[in-house]
Amino acid sequence: MTTFRRREVARRIFATEFNKATHKLQDDEERSPVYVLTPLGLRCNRVFVVGALLEKEEVRPDSGIWRIRVSDPTGVFLGFVGRYQPEALESLLEIEPPELVAIAAKVRVFEGDRTMVFLRPENIAVVTSDVRDYWVVETAKATIGRIENFEKGDDDDVKLARQIYSVDLNEYRNAVKQALLTIMESFVEPEEIEEEIEEEETEEEEIEDLDLEFEFEEEEWDLSDLLKEE
Amino acid sequence: MIEERIKELTQQIVQRFKDSGYDVNAKEVEKRLKLLILEFKVPESEAKRTITNYLLKELDIPRESLITESELVKVADITKPNQWVSLKVKVVQLWDSNSPSISQVGLVGDETGTIKFVIWAKADKDPVEEGKCYLFKNVVTDSFAGRMQINVNKNSEISEIDEEITLPPREIEVVGALISIQQNSGLIRRCKTCNRVMSKGVCPIHGKVEGYDDLRIKGVIDDGENVYEVVLNEQNIKNLTGIGLKEAKEIAEEFLDRTAVLAELKKRLLGKYFKLVGDRGERYLIVKNIEFLRIDVKKEVEKLINSLEA
Repeated sequence: MTTFRRREVARRIFATEFNKATHKLQDDEERSPVYVLTPLGLRCNRVFVVGALLEKEEVRPDSGIWRIRVSDPTGVFLGFVGRYQPEALESLLEIEPPELVAIAAKVRVFEGDRTMVFLRPENIAVVTSDVRDYWVVETAKATIGRIENFEKGDDDDVKLARQIYSVDLNEYRNAVKQALLTIMESFVEPEEIEEEIEEEETEEEEIEDLDLEFEFEEEEWDLSDLLKEE
Repeated sequence: MIEERIKELTQQIVQRFKDSGYDVNAKEVEKRLKLLILEFKVPESEAKRTITNYLLKELDIPRESLITESELVKVADITKPNQWVSLKVKVVQLWDSNSPSISQVGLVGDETGTIKFVIWAKADKDPVEEGKCYLFKNVVTDSFAGRMQINVNKNSEISEIDEEITLPPREIEVVGALISIQQNSGLIRRCKTCNRVMSKGVCPIHGKVEGYDDLRIKGVIDDGENVYEVVLNEQNIKNLTGIGLKEAKEIAEEFLDRTAVLAELKKRLLGKYFKLVGDRGERYLIVKNIEFLRIDVKKEVEKLINSLEA
């Protein structure tokens, strides 16, 4: 008996909230979708991300699995694209980083020495900065909504998130604000541009930090199961 | 496990007759259920129906006197096939039936959504009319081509009701990102007889026939809260990209490949934000008007920063 399943919504989430998610949710029922629960109590199976594709690198020569790093104003999303995602792979091979991209992706959880989440893109498209700007606005709104919901705290998923994660809401408020401010920078008048360049430099340093945080030996992983279709 | 289920089903059948004032032999019912389900592997719902029919005939009870107790549900609650339900709905649309075994087919809905319905010719029911509200009693849910529908059979009842049912507005406005474009989009070929999309020169109904070219996109617009499966026609696509049917054919000729059109459309539209107005159908949102989203981002950002500082 096949039960009709609705398509999963692509959630809007900043890297800073996404990367802290470690808790996997799945019903006992066979082939039921996998969700991750984020610290702010969002249950997500699919995301839509707009950011800068910083790197693409084949995990091992001729493995056909590509590791990508995509940055939003708050941090970096890690992703893997393999032969089970032909549409995403086809476009990825044509893109030379750095480039602004929009990615619709499934969320996957790797459970090894340490649990981490990554993206399994369904498709990747090159976009312009106005798409990125609107994504930041949309994602800021969604995150603020989750923060408010978390404060109320009567939602079941929020209750669960409170048990699992130690959450400092100010951290998320600041991340949202920081993201919005980087968008504001693109509206400043030309004479203020010097200041803007400085800002950008500090941001790059932050990205470097994150880079270190994400060093790991994915050669040892068997990703093939995680990359398969559900 | 299955033994318990059979006891449960037995109970349901016995109770149904009891409620209508008839006593039936539970042992007999159970024996027949076991035979049908365990021995002959008949689906539960069929076994139940067969035994009910047998008992009606055996006891010489007119079908109408059997009180029915299918639960009254809302359209949005229907997610599983083979369930007996009752619904209060409005007939939204009647479609042309292309099969002599179907008396009427179309769309019904309540305030939670719409669903396809089929009235089988064998059910022998008075026809329903568009725009009128009815109680559909004892209909069976079914899934067809991945979507839910309800089937009206001999055991179902349809009666007009004096209630106004308001449906969710058919026309809606959506702002969201186009996060997926299906493979069967772009420059396609349709059957000249039935307008269905052909695959490799073959119409699913009429076989190998001559077709005509058309341009369309089937895709998914997602606003982070809801998912809308959308259909864009040639005019929508031309307004967005400047690529109409003529231009699409030129692209196909230039690359000697019809799929080049889809690649080009994906490049221009995928991952972008749109504002659109469309009519909600059974599955798809039929787009009337679509444009790239233009919004004063600066104002929005300022508003959000202020709300954070408050």
